[in-house]
Amino acid sequence: MWFVRFLTSSIGKKMVMAVTGLCLILFLCVHAAGNVTIFVGSAVFQGYAENLHSHPVIVFIFRVGLLALFLIHIGVGLLLWQEGRKEGKNRYVVNTWVSKNPYAMSTMPYTGLFILFFVLIHVFGFAVAPTHDQMISHVIDDALSNFFYVLLYLAGFAALFIHLSHGFWSMLQTVGINHPRYNTLIARATWVVPGGFLCFFSLIALYLLTTSTY
Amino acid sequence: MSEINLTLKIWRQPNAEAEGKVETYSVENISTDSSFLEMLDVLNEKLTHEGVDPVAFDHDCREGICGMCGAVVNGVAHGPEKETTLCQLHMRHFKNGDTIVIEPFRSRAFPIYKDLMIDRSAFDRIIQAGGYTNVNTGGTPDANSVRISSQQLELAMDAAACIGCGACVASCPNGSAMLFTSAKVSQLALLPQGQVERKERAQAMVQCMDGEGFGHCTNTKECEAVCPKGISISNIARLNREFLKGIFTGRDD
Repeated sequence: MWFVRFLTSSIGKKMVMAVTGLCLILFLCVHAAGNVTIFVGSAVFQGYAENLHSHPVIVFIFRVGLLALFLIHIGVGLLLWQEGRKEGKNRYVVNTWVSKNPYAMSTMPYTGLFILFFVLIHVFGFAVAPTHDQMISHVIDDALSNFFYVLLYLAGFAALFIHLSHGFWSMLQTVGINHPRYNTLIARATWVVPGGFLCFFSLIALYLLTTSTY
Repeated sequence: MSEINLTLKIWRQPNAEAEGKVETYSVENISTDSSFLEMLDVLNEKLTHEGVDPVAFDHDCREGICGMCGAVVNGVAHGPEKETTLCQLHMRHFKNGDTIVIEPFRSRAFPIYKDLMIDRSAFDRIIQAGGYTNVNTGGTPDANSVRISSQQLELAMDAAACIGCGACVASCPNGSAMLFTSAKVSQLALLPQGQVERKERAQAMVQCMDGEGFGHCTNTKECEAVCPKGISISNIARLNREFLKGIFTGRDD
């Protein structure tokens, strides 16, 4: 079967990583757009959250879809990690790295797993733990008034930045987007997109940390 | 011309099954005009006189076009010079008193025959899987009957510059053969003569590549950095496109 051949091939697995990765990036964009309301005011943010949850079907579809994307991205990622380790880390007596910026590339599984750890805490703290009578605007303000909680969030955003500083470019290369006309733009976007997420989400965390009455 | 003395740490392994180890040798009065392989020739002459088994290493044309030679020198495939095969690496790039560590190209798919000699026949099997075109027999066609733009031709030639030495595999942390396979797929996909088998080619060659035990491409660019022929990873992107097109629009099943 052609589809099984695609999914079991080395390129197919990388394409699954690229497509699920792109979907997760797009979700983050929507997430960030919604979070802009935090800066407008606590009432506006509360209104946004209540509006969103007044459509339980849409919320349900998004939750199931996101869970599936995460599971596929992490599952295939771990499979590829394990396959890549077959070659052995130290096959040479002398190991020299010639190309640039190997740091983000070689730490992809570790930054990825740290992001997973962060997401679990984030989802548990802001979606699972709060009871129905708690207002979400108060929950996030309470949590992000804690210095160590904010520190954990900043670490999560930093891991995301490192992860995407390889992942964004890698995603485009894997689906075959590599053209002299666009390569400079892609190289810049590989820093601008993760940098944008890092700045924006960090700003929210720091804003809630420094604002005493939200 | 000047002469240098060197300490060499070379991987010695009597055969594929034996445990190998690094042995230390010294060579004196090596001409800085000699090539790396000529330096190894000098060492082997010395070892033969001493009754020691000479170091086995792959070599053939010694002018950087056959793809036979290659070893990892101080952790870099083909040594420290960019876009240079081991045979074209000259000793003037080393200093008197240097210690040079020489190891074979390593990969699960490249078993070691002896010392620095490796078995790269996995590459031949990838080519056999799809790196060919079918040509009708009969009278010679007119040279100008097949039209191609010069830009397209140059891209195909850039890909065809791959000599199949295996430095890409040896340097990839996953032992991936994607740069080699992508160059071989590209050189034919870009030419009018390669269109007939185009949809099956990438699939067949990737399937063979995976089966031979080469790893997946994780986009480290290390292959491109060490390639003695400067093969670009834009070929890997082309292979990915060819694979995608072939598998989603092919009519084989």
